[in-house]
Amino acid sequence: MALLEVNNLKKYFKEVKAVDGISFKVERGEVFGLLGPNGAGKSTTISMISTLFKPNEGDIKYKNVSIIDNPSAIQQKLGVVPQEIALYPTLSGYENLKFWGHAYGLRGKELSNRIEEVSEIIGIKDRLKDKIEKYSGGMKRRINIGAALLHNPEILIMDEPTVGIDPQSRNHILDTVLELNKKGMTIIYTSHYMEEVEYLCTRVSIMDKGNIIASGTQEELLEIVKGKKKINLRFDKISDNLIDRINSIDYIENVDVHDDEIILTTQNGEDIFKDLIAKSSETENSILSIDIKKPNLEAVFLHLTGRALRD
Amino acid sequence: MLSIIMLRLQRLKVEYYVFLVMTLMSLIFTFIFGATQNQDYTPTILVVDEDNSDYSKKVFSELQDNNAFKYSISEYDDAVKKVQDDKAAAALVINKGLQENIENNQKPVLGIIKTKENIDTMTLENIISSITSKMVGNIRIASITADFINQEKNIDHNKIFNEAYNKAVETWKYKKPIEISSTRLVEGNGTGYDNLTHSIIGFALFFSMYTIVFAIGEILNEKKYNTWNRILVSPISKNAILGGNLIVSFLVGFVQVGILFIAGKYLFGLNLGSNLLGVIIVLIAFVFTITSMGLFLSGLVKTHSQLAALTPVILTSTSMLGGCMWPLDIVENKIILALSNITPQKWAIEGIESIAMYGKGINGVIIPTLVLLGMGLLFFSTGVKLVKSE
Repeated sequence: MALLEVNNLKKYFKEVKAVDGISFKVERGEVFGLLGPNGAGKSTTISMISTLFKPNEGDIKYKNVSIIDNPSAIQQKLGVVPQEIALYPTLSGYENLKFWGHAYGLRGKELSNRIEEVSEIIGIKDRLKDKIEKYSGGMKRRINIGAALLHNPEILIMDEPTVGIDPQSRNHILDTVLELNKKGMTIIYTSHYMEEVEYLCTRVSIMDKGNIIASGTQEELLEIVKGKKKINLRFDKISDNLIDRINSIDYIENVDVHDDEIILTTQNGEDIFKDLIAKSSETENSILSIDIKKPNLEAVFLHLTGRALRD
Repeated sequence: MLSIIMLRLQRLKVEYYVFLVMTLMSLIFTFIFGATQNQDYTPTILVVDEDNSDYSKKVFSELQDNNAFKYSISEYDDAVKKVQDDKAAAALVINKGLQENIENNQKPVLGIIKTKENIDTMTLENIISSITSKMVGNIRIASITADFINQEKNIDHNKIFNEAYNKAVETWKYKKPIEISSTRLVEGNGTGYDNLTHSIIGFALFFSMYTIVFAIGEILNEKKYNTWNRILVSPISKNAILGGNLIVSFLVGFVQVGILFIAGKYLFGLNLGSNLLGVIIVLIAFVFTITSMGLFLSGLVKTHSQLAALTPVILTSTSMLGGCMWPLDIVENKIILALSNITPQKWAIEGIESIAMYGKGINGVIIPTLVLLGMGLLFFSTGVKLVKSE
């Protein structure tokens, strides 16, 4: 029996189909990833699992009990790290942790001990007495995570927890996630950063426009683009004419433009350099760099949607 | 709910200066308004006598019998300047030809120089109208009397006229045509209406409403800090969030009203009468109503800034209607009086003053309290629906 089971979940906001009939299972002890670009429906899915929104259709079962009509069945077992910083800026880190611990039923010595333990896990023990408004972005993110850990939840949901922070804090958060998972915590991790999901998740569902377009372990997903190459090209300038000409190369499968970069997937690598140089000289564009990458989850997304994950 | 109450108290402890500033400002404003309401201020009216006749002198003499204003003679240019500089409330111009007009049975015309229409100028117009009507009447009576006697006996017409005129004036002075006798029907032993007491009660209620509404408006800050959704996914229910916030806002409001009333007692000599329990009952009902009103307003808007923009409009207008700024007894407009009944302030003031000024017992606060509780429940149920539906 899966720890969490999502069946044909739908959520509409007026005419917008934010989530349009998705299903997946989360097994006990795994780090399950929801990968997709902004607006794919990840946060809406997370909001429904965390009982904030009710779906228009479908069901979510925690240990085989529906949480749609019985949200309290999961609330105490769930730790939610929202995408935005959800803390009281005029209170100190300690006071914030104390409140969130209290909200989940912790009292007295037990609460003090957990604040101590959690502040060590998130590496913020020295700054606990400072007000949140004086914290850096990375520290706020860490305490935002800490607030969800106090009651030692069975499932930890993390919605884009590393958005807008420095690399050092980001690495600390990613290592913390792995550490928590090693101790047995089940984690649902959403991100539009492919490398984070690759680093953390055992199984991944890729979302786009409210649907799950692929699911499985990383190996299973990479099978989709087996034998294909992902090539990142940088030109001095990118014109519509250049894109049209690259698109006209018959063995190129997807072409996606992102800022000053063209990302494409192809099955054939033998003639690619020759053909690309020819096309660029036809349009008087100069190639600045060609980067051939091993297929990854971004290549899977590009292959399935024709768009880069960052779009 | 306990978590929410503890959180709000914790935040209050950290942000105590907001409560302190609000209370201090309320005290200062209550003092300013209370003190000005209690002063014996008499506006000055300048009189420009361009006619310089016996009759114009009679007008001036009649004016001086009226205590509503201080009157002094002035030149036209000087009067205009002083009115413009706000050194006089208005100036009365007795135009040339006053005596001639009266003698020729024509309507006398008097002018008023003013910079704005206000209660003083309106009162002055009424006084002038009354004085001139009375004076013209007296002159007619004296003239007819002198003419009649003059026909019968050959006596000096002017002498008879002056005697008759003075007699007519005397008659108005000492033998008023109507004598009003009044009996106050009160059950208690109150001191009666007192302007300072009314001002302190009115302004204390008015200013405390801001604290209460902004205290419950903290719910909107929960949304700004994104903590609202985070609490909603915790085991704390929506009802507990609202309940906790309502309880703390109620306590904050009640403590502030209490401080303002106690300060009123010791700083301005506010006398709340002998039935303190009755006053407390009305205050509890009032604070509950305003807390619920704050919840309702918080449900109407999306952000704390919107609440900050809406609150002064609602609170000031309802406080004016409800009699916080002036006693409703001086209001004659029936529409305004009818509208005052739908403001919580009117009922709170009525309940508290029935004890403080008119010495009534608990019976005097039953209806105001019930009306306040009714309003509070209406605001509460609508407010809960609005806040929950978001």
